Amino acid sequence: MANHETILEAKGIYKSFSGVPVLQDVRFEVRRGEVHALMGENGAGKSTLIKIITGVYTKDDGQIYWEGKPVEINNYQDCQKLGVACIYQELSVIPPLTVAQNVFLGREPKNAFGLIDHKKMNEMTQELIDKYEFPLKPTTIVDNLGIGQRQLIEILKGLSQNSKLLIMDEPTASLSGKEAEMLFRIITTLREQNVSIIYISHRLEEVYRLSDRLTILRDGKNEAVLQKEEIVPAKVIKTMIGKEVDESAGSKKMLHSEDTEVRLDVQNLTDKADRFRNISFQVHRGEILGFGGLIGAGRTELVRAIYGVDQAQSGTVILDGKTLSPSPKNSILAGIGFVPEDRRNQGFIPLLSTTRNVALTNYDILPKNGLSVSDAAELEMSKKAISSIDIRPADPGKQVGVMSGGNQQKVVLGKWLMRDLNLLIVDEPTAGIDVGAKDEIYRILEDLARQGVAVIVVTSDLQELIRVSHRILVMRKGDIVKEFKNVEVTQSKVLAAGQGVAEEEEAS
Amino acid sequence: MKNFNLTKYSKPLILLVFIIVLTILRPSTFLTVSNFANVLWSISVIGIMVCGTIFVFLIGGIDLSIATLCGFCAVVTVKTITYFHNSTGGVFAGILAALAVGAAAGCLHGIVITRFHIPAFLVTFATQSIFLGLSMIVTSNKIISCTEPAAFTAIGAKKILGFPLPIYLMILIAALAWYVLRKTEFGRYIYAVGGNATAAEISGINVRRSTVLCYVFSGLTTALGGVILASMTQQAMASTGSGYTNDVITAGVIGGVSLLGGEGTVLGAMFGAVLMGLLNNGLNLMSVPSTHAGLVKGLVIIIAVGFDALQHTDQARKKVKKIVKKEA
Repeated sequence: MANHETILEAKGIYKSFSGVPVLQDVRFEVRRGEVHALMGENGAGKSTLIKIITGVYTKDDGQIYWEGKPVEINNYQDCQKLGVACIYQELSVIPPLTVAQNVFLGREPKNAFGLIDHKKMNEMTQELIDKYEFPLKPTTIVDNLGIGQRQLIEILKGLSQNSKLLIMDEPTASLSGKEAEMLFRIITTLREQNVSIIYISHRLEEVYRLSDRLTILRDGKNEAVLQKEEIVPAKVIKTMIGKEVDESAGSKKMLHSEDTEVRLDVQNLTDKADRFRNISFQVHRGEILGFGGLIGAGRTELVRAIYGVDQAQSGTVILDGKTLSPSPKNSILAGIGFVPEDRRNQGFIPLLSTTRNVALTNYDILPKNGLSVSDAAELEMSKKAISSIDIRPADPGKQVGVMSGGNQQKVVLGKWLMRDLNLLIVDEPTAGIDVGAKDEIYRILEDLARQGVAVIVVTSDLQELIRVSHRILVMRKGDIVKEFKNVEVTQSKVLAAGQGVAEEEEAS
Repeated sequence: MKNFNLTKYSKPLILLVFIIVLTILRPSTFLTVSNFANVLWSISVIGIMVCGTIFVFLIGGIDLSIATLCGFCAVVTVKTITYFHNSTGGVFAGILAALAVGAAAGCLHGIVITRFHIPAFLVTFATQSIFLGLSMIVTSNKIISCTEPAAFTAIGAKKILGFPLPIYLMILIAALAWYVLRKTEFGRYIYAVGGNATAAEISGINVRRSTVLCYVFSGLTTALGGVILASMTQQAMASTGSGYTNDVITAGVIGGVSLLGGEGTVLGAMFGAVLMGLLNNGLNLMSVPSTHAGLVKGLVIIIAVGFDALQHTDQARKKVKKIVKKEA
């Protein structure tokens, strides 16, 4: 767009959480009628910045300007009044209502009797639909619509409130290819109608295609603002990761692995819902195999199928020469440990103590007095876990639900250390936990590998992937697209593989 | 620290206050062995039933069919005994038949809930009506009485050391339930499933089987309750046990058993049952007219549960604060 009028500007934004700076002197500017992408690795500060703009968090310092005037945004209502609408990943549409009823929820046009004027409401919705060319009908019941169309309703809702700026946070994360295309078309129309869009996405291809400008955050600081013509894959990847970082310790490594005895042999594993297909790979004795790729590439689904939480469509999992019949119970008995991706919902029992959580998978090896579990042995195991991986507070009776994320993760991991393992699978093992606990977890994984355990690490944190892995497989859209074995690996190389960017391009 | 102590001792404290108040108000009639035997006898059926239903509560389910299943089991007991010409052997057959019906009902609940993913609330709401209907069909909606043999009537009335047999049965069942929940591997699995079924499943626990077993336990204690009720009243009819669903759930809730699952103890549930018994007894001794009894009961329950809830919200608030802080 030739229009260079600034609609939103955030200047000198600072924010820290319990002393840790998350945003430092961040400047962010959106012009009228542009699609402005916001990128950065996990933890770069994108969400925090958005939450400050939408009034969810209060900034420590800095000023936000709307159409040139300084404004105070203290809650989401404030930002709605200005004309900013946020399209959340978790949709807030109400399924039993119609499209129009959802769009005007709480703001329904009334007739002379004070009742809802359905006819007028449908007309108003139709007007919006026509103006922005949405593939929707006002009278359709939302329950019958797919997730992509539901997202469009959210957008309509924003537009019906005369929003001039829409914020979309990973809008395509749960959309099919066709639905995503529909969304892209709408975004293009919205731009033509002078609506501004802040577009947050991990997917480079979308960003290349849609955005007029791109702001990259790294470690809570502005790294760059790229103009349309500067947005090329190699440049974006380099800026996101940072050249200096890529050459500093911990982000580049000479991988080294030996083909010792095969412990895990996965053959042609295919998912029922086609989230991964025909996956074959092996993990050797004492090897840490890292899985890289974007969120949604099928890594989590793959490891869940290996452990047996989900049943695969077809394929075999062989551990130490024996074919597994997939179920968590069988996997545990075969010596497999599993630390799930979503700690809070899948990892532990919040109401129960450390002791009960640690013992949960280990009653088969805990001594019994007749039918009853030995409380003393259970407590002893819990104390052993606490001391061996430094769980704090060192109180076996403490409810795990009230502990810090790092310690919760130690409890989840700790229970597996109490038994003999052959294979340990960890999915996003350090998501949302502090640096100290991270190092502790890396140390545990390395110790286990030294003892001959085969370890699989799924992580979206590139630094972590490179730090812990002996060998790396990268997945993209349900396939293994790249193996890094006994070569030098950098964050950019892994990221490029996960994005499907050709290597020559990346090297340039 | 102050809060912690109050939570821990709030239940015995409430009981003590109750006993003291009633002792002062009715010194001659309240504080006697026979009155205590009376109170415990009056809650024995609820006490027994809550020991099985607590398993369902802990796993995060609910059983709304308790009352009518209890009635149907009473009918089955009496019918079986009369079928065997009121012989002592018939009593055994009657008890076995009732327990089998209870277990089968529980099994049915568990399977329908876990296989077809229908909410427990709906399944047991539907079966409640089925059990009532069955009782009506079997009895032709009449009272069927059973005053013989002695082995049958003894179940509800026989006194040992001045206390009726159902009280001993209640203590026995409570001890059993306590043992299973507190001491065994299975008991630990139940708290895990109720606390977070997904995490429990990933930890290798068979969530479906555990759930079905919990409903079976609930069915079994409900059946036993039906047998005792039939013996106490020496009769059975479709309306036998009516109101017990409320009473059992109330006893559990007063006793701190969370209807969301994962939290609660047998001791707590028994406290709830005893408190309800004392409350009824107190209202009776104070000659509160039955028209007012419901009102007073409701208020006392709110106060008793309020104590616990206050503690919980306080803890919950702290928890939320911590989580928000951490996730930020």
